[in-house]
Amino acid sequence: MVAPVASRGPLGLGVGAESIVRAVAASRRQARLRFRLIFVATWLVLVGGFVILLGSTGRIDLDFLGTWAPFIIGGIPITIAVSVTSIVFATIFAVAGALGRLSRVAPIYATATLYVSLVRGTPLIVQVFFVFSALPEFGIVLPAFVAGCLALSFNYGAYMTEIFRAGIQAIPRGQVEAAASLGMTERQIMRRIVLPQAIRIVIPAIGNEFIAMIKDSALVSFVALQELFWRARTVGSSHFQSFSTLVLAALVYWALTIVFSLVQERLEKRMAESDVRI
Amino acid sequence: MSIRGRLTIFATVALVAGACTGGGTAASSAPSVAASQPAASTGTVASTPPASAAPIAGGLLDKVLKAGKLLVSTDPKYPPQSELEPDGTFKGFDIDVATEIAKRLGVKVEFTTPDWTAITAGGWGGRWDASVGSMTITIDRAKVLDFSSPYYYTPAQMAASKHSGITTLDGLAGKTVCSGEGTTYDQWLNGTLNYGTGQDLGKPPAGVKTVTLPTDTDCPDQWKSGRFDFDGWLSSSTTVDGAIKAGLPLVKVGDPVFFEPLAVAVDKSGPPDTDFVPMLKKIVDDMHADGTLSTMSMKWFGVDLTVASG
Repeated sequence: MVAPVASRGPLGLGVGAESIVRAVAASRRQARLRFRLIFVATWLVLVGGFVILLGSTGRIDLDFLGTWAPFIIGGIPITIAVSVTSIVFATIFAVAGALGRLSRVAPIYATATLYVSLVRGTPLIVQVFFVFSALPEFGIVLPAFVAGCLALSFNYGAYMTEIFRAGIQAIPRGQVEAAASLGMTERQIMRRIVLPQAIRIVIPAIGNEFIAMIKDSALVSFVALQELFWRARTVGSSHFQSFSTLVLAALVYWALTIVFSLVQERLEKRMAESDVRI
Repeated sequence: MSIRGRLTIFATVALVAGACTGGGTAASSAPSVAASQPAASTGTVASTPPASAAPIAGGLLDKVLKAGKLLVSTDPKYPPQSELEPDGTFKGFDIDVATEIAKRLGVKVEFTTPDWTAITAGGWGGRWDASVGSMTITIDRAKVLDFSSPYYYTPAQMAASKHSGITTLDGLAGKTVCSGEGTTYDQWLNGTLNYGTGQDLGKPPAGVKTVTLPTDTDCPDQWKSGRFDFDGWLSSSTTVDGAIKAGLPLVKVGDPVFFEPLAVAVDKSGPPDTDFVPMLKKIVDDMHADGTLSTMSMKWFGVDLTVASG
């Protein structure tokens, strides 16, 4: 009754079906490859054109950049240190903010709402200035690095509050009800059921915020931190070469965001793994 | 640090102490000791003990001596006064002056680079000890900062873009003039510059409009880019010379419009500085007297700007 094994291919299908499947797969692979090649070629043409355009201004001084690039690029560790520290503390602010925004206790809800409203309603540069220059008036003197990170994380915390809130609210109500019917307390439901799933939802968004943070970290140049932007600007402006140095800084920021975008893409895939049908 | 540095601090402390206690033998001999030591000399008097007079506890001098370093703010967008080296160190006239002051205090010097507007606004919160940043003494700044005696004087020079074709001060009447944010040049253009000495600083060209950019050198850099939103630029003659030397498309216009006394500044809201500021004044006066400042000025500017003029 069993069909002879010899008449079947490795996929367990009939020989005819097997070759069709292979042909389709091969043509798909080819199409994907072609797409990628065209993608890379288009980038090369566009970026090359842009480089030629910049070069044609005659304002990119390569000798000058050769001398100064190591110093400017030396700002990368500070830029990354500021961004990483700030995103960590921003996440803490955001979790607290989101729980506050979902709280039914009026003063907590009011405080969290005020935080989000105030921070989102004022420019980041003003907040940086406030933390650095206005807090000392109240006797609070923070070192430059701490002041810069505090301002950035306080600001990003407010935006990320809404991300976390959305993440928490995305957990189906049925799950909360089911957990409650099992006798879990509200705190247990939050800790065991809601937050673990919410975090999975918001992690890709945090990655996004981090990439934005890398660029906004340029604002802390105001507080005497010699990060990437500060270096590019100071070197450029004292030698009348701002054009060269700022283009260099832009390229470095771009490269950094590409690297972290790739990391984020992987993270996103990893976090979505449980949603993928096998 | 050096023997000479310690000797000077001893002499200075002795002088201040002597002045407070009504005079003594140390006070009368100290100035000649300090003045007889040229800047480059390392000195050979090895037996002089380091300073022993106690500064005000918790005061700025106390803090600096205890830390063994003077933390100085500088804006390295301002050559030849202050600029970066490719290895991240600093050079320039202000850097040399700050280094020499620290040396005479017997401590190391370190630099920090906050925004210029953060320096002039006061309220440093103890983040740095002093500004050796070619700061003009004005009545507004004196409300939040304490100043040493001026260590040099720069002429404020008007310049115009070659594009504008303007060659006289009157030619800038009714035109827009650019200057750095928070600078005395912006204040002068707006008629608000006041040294608090009653000195007449003259008037800007009639009907002049003003625009500011983050730092002085940004103004001519706009012309280099081909932007001509403004025709004039007011800055220190040393900065204007630097821009012309760098080949930027501008010309000097007229004689210097006013002269600025530039001094070391200390935050009024910081630790008590009643012993630090007199010492600072003494060090600056010594550096005038023994020719150190003139030598530095010749080195960086090619002219001696340490004598008041205008």
